[in-house]
Amino acid sequence: MAAAVTSLARRDRRFGLLLTAPGLAALIFVVMFPLGFTVFTSFFEYTLMHLVHDTFVGVHNYTSIVEEEYLGEAVWVTFKFVLASVVIEFCIGMAVALALNRVTRFKNIYYLILLAPLLMNPVVVAQLWRMILHSELGIMNYLLGGLGIDGVNFLGDPEAAFWTVVLVDIWHQVSFMAILLLAGLSALPREPYEAARMDGASAIRTFIHITLPLMRPVIAVAVLLRLIFALKTFDIIYIMTKGGPGAATDLISYFIYRSAFFGLDLGRASAMSVVLLLGVLGLTMYLYRYMRSLA
Amino acid sequence: MARIVLENVGKLYGPVVAVEGVNLDIADGEFMVLLGPSGCGKSTTLRMIAGLEEISSGTCSIDGRVVNDVDPAERDLAIVFQNYALYPHMSVADNLAFGLKLRGLPRADIEARIATTARMLGIGELLARKPRQLSGGQQQRVALGRALVRQPKAFLLDEPLSNLDAKLRAGMRTELIKLHQQLGATIVHVTHDQVEAMTMGQRICIMRDGRIVQVGAPLEVYRNPVDTFVAGFLASPPMNLLDARIVANGQGLAVEVGGVALPVPPERTGVLAQWRDRPVVFGIRPEDLYTTAEGGGARVAVDTAVVAVEALGPEVVLVAALPDKREVSARLGRSFTARVAAPQRLYADMAAMHLFDPETRRALPRG
Repeated sequence: MAAAVTSLARRDRRFGLLLTAPGLAALIFVVMFPLGFTVFTSFFEYTLMHLVHDTFVGVHNYTSIVEEEYLGEAVWVTFKFVLASVVIEFCIGMAVALALNRVTRFKNIYYLILLAPLLMNPVVVAQLWRMILHSELGIMNYLLGGLGIDGVNFLGDPEAAFWTVVLVDIWHQVSFMAILLLAGLSALPREPYEAARMDGASAIRTFIHITLPLMRPVIAVAVLLRLIFALKTFDIIYIMTKGGPGAATDLISYFIYRSAFFGLDLGRASAMSVVLLLGVLGLTMYLYRYMRSLA
Repeated sequence: MARIVLENVGKLYGPVVAVEGVNLDIADGEFMVLLGPSGCGKSTTLRMIAGLEEISSGTCSIDGRVVNDVDPAERDLAIVFQNYALYPHMSVADNLAFGLKLRGLPRADIEARIATTARMLGIGELLARKPRQLSGGQQQRVALGRALVRQPKAFLLDEPLSNLDAKLRAGMRTELIKLHQQLGATIVHVTHDQVEAMTMGQRICIMRDGRIVQVGAPLEVYRNPVDTFVAGFLASPPMNLLDARIVANGQGLAVEVGGVALPVPPERTGVLAQWRDRPVVFGIRPEDLYTTAEGGGARVAVDTAVVAVEALGPEVVLVAALPDKREVSARLGRSFTARVAAPQRLYADMAAMHLFDPETRRALPRG
């Protein structure tokens, strides 16, 4: 009897492997291979002038990261970018979610409007805004002019450029936050709110003492997910500012891209990529553990 | 302490009438039970008293003050919800303290009140725990504690016992009765469980389809149901209700039911004279059917056949078929036994019979 069960289980497992094999193969080819190649490369002196893995340098590429002249600047810009976009997205997302949670009419229309940016490719979003915000030809400055406001050099002025990419990122990603928070809000039990009404809690107190604590898991997941995505931001920088002007929008991922394809040093860029990956991986593992602890 | 008066209260959800024309005067310190099947509007009525639902028409007043537009918090009532509605992220102590903190009570007072309430309900050990660490019965106590600690004018209980298992429920029932005696507070208790209603309420208000059908003391409602709905809803097994006919029987009258003519006791023939040769609904409670002719009342023999014998321990419920195959239930002593399909002679106490108008379903006057 036991033997029969085991052979059955073995057959099930083999069948399962068979079903997942194509997906696994694709993943290995497009994810695991480039990843392995990057890790491998990070231990060699490997440049675009010398595309051969023949000079093993050990951890030199890693130890030399700290010597990168402008890396500190890129880390600081990335930190500011992540902080600003995630915090503002959370505040707007929460406000929108709270408002939509009370809406009963035209809910689908609001959802459609809310989801529209999320359906667009980041490259399209960046290109769109680059045109809208063009200092000479963009419609934004034309409209501002109509209101008697001087045109803003959105992407040419360092300070303005930083906030421009932050705002474009927010425009693109805030709905993600809003949708996640809205899903959380609509799943909250109704009863504690009624109990709070009987207890005499005002709307603000209810939000602070009931909604926020009950939403904590959802908030944590939404913020962590956005943190991970924001840390990897590349497309809008590549399209809109190329890290400039100066280093005003030079996020880490773009910095790595530059050191690989402009600095031509693939070995060192690979090392930096691996470090960034470990950072993101750390956050992801924390998120995964947190979500498991909720279950 | 509060007197709660509902005058012509109604509730509409769009075009749907949830509650209509409810008039109810709940005396100060009274234990009132709102009883009815699910969807009858009893919970909605309670929630309108609490202020959690707006009142569409009519007025609700507490101690003479109309509270239709008064915020729930200012009505000074406490509600215990069916699923307890504890704040899941707060400890038991914080759950109890939350409402008091919001009312700005000094910390020392809050602690004293929590200690008293915890002692009263035996939840002192649980104060540091979170609701998810409590059993259903313990959560129930905490929910009750959260209401008690506020020392409100009245308590509104929305099916608070329905999520407990049978044994706990019986225990909590007794405790709630004791608590009411101890506090002397007004309690409005919503339930669909007629045993709860009978045992706990000083008065029962039976509702159906958003309207009040009958209000009265439990035994009064049990003895004199105003219509077939109340007759069939109260007590388990419910009253046997059978289509019948009033016929002449020599000098007097008889109820012709299931192919048998059951003579009406002389004291009830007077008012029934006008119902002669007309259809009626004949009702007899299972406890008014006996296996012997002796022992009070006006017992009349009916020959039946045994359909099922349900031995419940303290009693036996016999399901028996009349000659025309319609079934009746009888509550008999625990020693009763019978084989299925065997003939069984039962004796109906005709002094205890109920008669209803088959069209209006209302009880005929008992004369």
